[in-house]
Amino acid sequence: MQELTFEKINTTVLDTLSRPGKRYWTVIALLFCGVVLGAACWAYQIFEGVGVAGMNTPVHWGTYLINFVFWVGIAHSGTLISAILFLMRAGWRNPIARAAETMTVFAVCIAGLFPFIHLGRVWLVFYMLPVPNQRTLWPNFQSPLIFDVVAISTYLTVSSLFWYTGLVPDFAIIRDRSVGVRKKIFRVLSLGWSGKSGQWLHYTRGYLLFAGLATPLVISVHSVVSWDFALGVTPGWHTTIFAPYFVAGAIHSGLAMVLTLCIPLRKIFGYERIITVHVLESIAKTIVFTGLIVGFAYGTEVFIAWYSQNIIEMESFRWRAFGAYAPEYWIMVICNSVIPLLFLFRKFRTKIVWLFVISVFVNIGMWFERFVIIVGSVAHDFLPNAWGHYRPTLVEGGIMLGAFCLFFFLFLLFVKHLPSVSMTEMKEHIQHTE
Amino acid sequence: MNTHATTITALFKSEEDTLAAIREIREHGWQVTEVRSPVPAERIAEALGRGKSRVGWFTFAGGVIGFFSGFSLAAFTATRWDLIVSGKPVLSWIPFFIIAFEFTILFAVFGNVLGLLTQLGLPEKDYETNYHEECSGDMYGIEAVADQSEAERLKEVVGRTGTVKRADRMDE
Repeated sequence: MQELTFEKINTTVLDTLSRPGKRYWTVIALLFCGVVLGAACWAYQIFEGVGVAGMNTPVHWGTYLINFVFWVGIAHSGTLISAILFLMRAGWRNPIARAAETMTVFAVCIAGLFPFIHLGRVWLVFYMLPVPNQRTLWPNFQSPLIFDVVAISTYLTVSSLFWYTGLVPDFAIIRDRSVGVRKKIFRVLSLGWSGKSGQWLHYTRGYLLFAGLATPLVISVHSVVSWDFALGVTPGWHTTIFAPYFVAGAIHSGLAMVLTLCIPLRKIFGYERIITVHVLESIAKTIVFTGLIVGFAYGTEVFIAWYSQNIIEMESFRWRAFGAYAPEYWIMVICNSVIPLLFLFRKFRTKIVWLFVISVFVNIGMWFERFVIIVGSVAHDFLPNAWGHYRPTLVEGGIMLGAFCLFFFLFLLFVKHLPSVSMTEMKEHIQHTE
Repeated sequence: MNTHATTITALFKSEEDTLAAIREIREHGWQVTEVRSPVPAERIAEALGRGKSRVGWFTFAGGVIGFFSGFSLAAFTATRWDLIVSGKPVLSWIPFFIIAFEFTILFAVFGNVLGLLTQLGLPEKDYETNYHEECSGDMYGIEAVADQSEAERLKEVVGRTGTVKRADRMDE
């Protein structure tokens, strides 16, 4: 870190914006094919009807809502890193804050697509919005689903504005070192930023306020997502633990995704001196913390089911662990609560391969957590004659694959066209540590 | 602005050098009209006598407007059809508080952005006046004004610790 200078930071980051090679465009093309496949599957569903998905009585919430919750969760750690750790003055956040914020914006966009897909008749989506109409029909603001519409749209707007605000000084750096069309583009994007003392004064205040507002927002958004379930009387859902449990899970999955993205980014772009092993180790330590909270929540759910002596609640949790979806349940427990404990050992926290492998396991585990919560509860609720099973169809698989491809497609476009590390925040960091 | 004044821009390598130059320029009775830096520099802002930022007031106003807008929207729409749904009162304040909370954050952020744009003076078309590209790299740029007769002396003073980039005569 001592070797870094302001100019070195600029050149390292600006080098990543050089003209990409064939391999980059090949990967982009492959991911685009995945996006087209997903779009084709969605188009097929629109023409044929939502029946082409595997959702049916009693499971009407399938992979679309699993993916919705998953991507909202992924989005959350971007705000944790950019806002909460900013307020706590955690210096290790600076090198990864930009990548994490970008991940947030793209993940919320993708999450926001899934309720549209789940609706089936997507052209009626405006029913969820408070649009004046002659029948004076309005959304029911007592419903957690409408809380969700408000919360997710707020989160998307706030995280996009926060992201752009952070980029403005960096756009000015690129503008000053570009020529031709690129200079013109960045001249517009940088809004004429020139780093005047008055500009920095207001900017730092505004950024601090952004962080202060984003912090309660991020906690409220995943709490609201959890209330989509917790306000229903379904066994396995109707608990007060859901909000903190979901927030911790969201941060757990998001941190894992930050590792999954930043490790290849660091290797490909030669960011080793900026995204140091210490930074990755700090993420790993935080994953141990969130993994323990998530593990505690799994245990608490089972304990409360037993302590309540409510036979339906007890049966619901017995079935989760030993019923038809037992493999999914144990994948969830092992990947989210057991495997991250390896990070208690320094060897696993400091070896890049282990960091990457464990982060992928956590991502898988968190996807299965949403599967277990959403499908596992409604497939086996009150009446034995209403119990059933759910299996995703190929159409749902195609849409899910398309969503993952879209996320990585957007992220790859970002890293080659915009600064993937905040040059300004890195400079501030080395200035304060000097 | 003085008649026959000269504006001199000079670049410095560190915040310390810049602060020292600001003090020296002022001691000679000349003016420092602007300082540009690659990172926030609180001590420079203090030295230039910049007051507190007023962005927070915009944020606060946005938040207050948002809170009442959220509550009002939820209450207004609920009273269009006075139907009791799931046994809940038509005006259910607890769920409406969640809408009000989200609107508070949303409008506070809009206020914050508005505050930033107005206080920062962005977008600024003629940002290039007295601007040097090194200021977005690793240099601190000072913009100082002196009477034309003292221009050479000013250049000499700032040139001791910094690099004089430009001297523009202004006749007003």
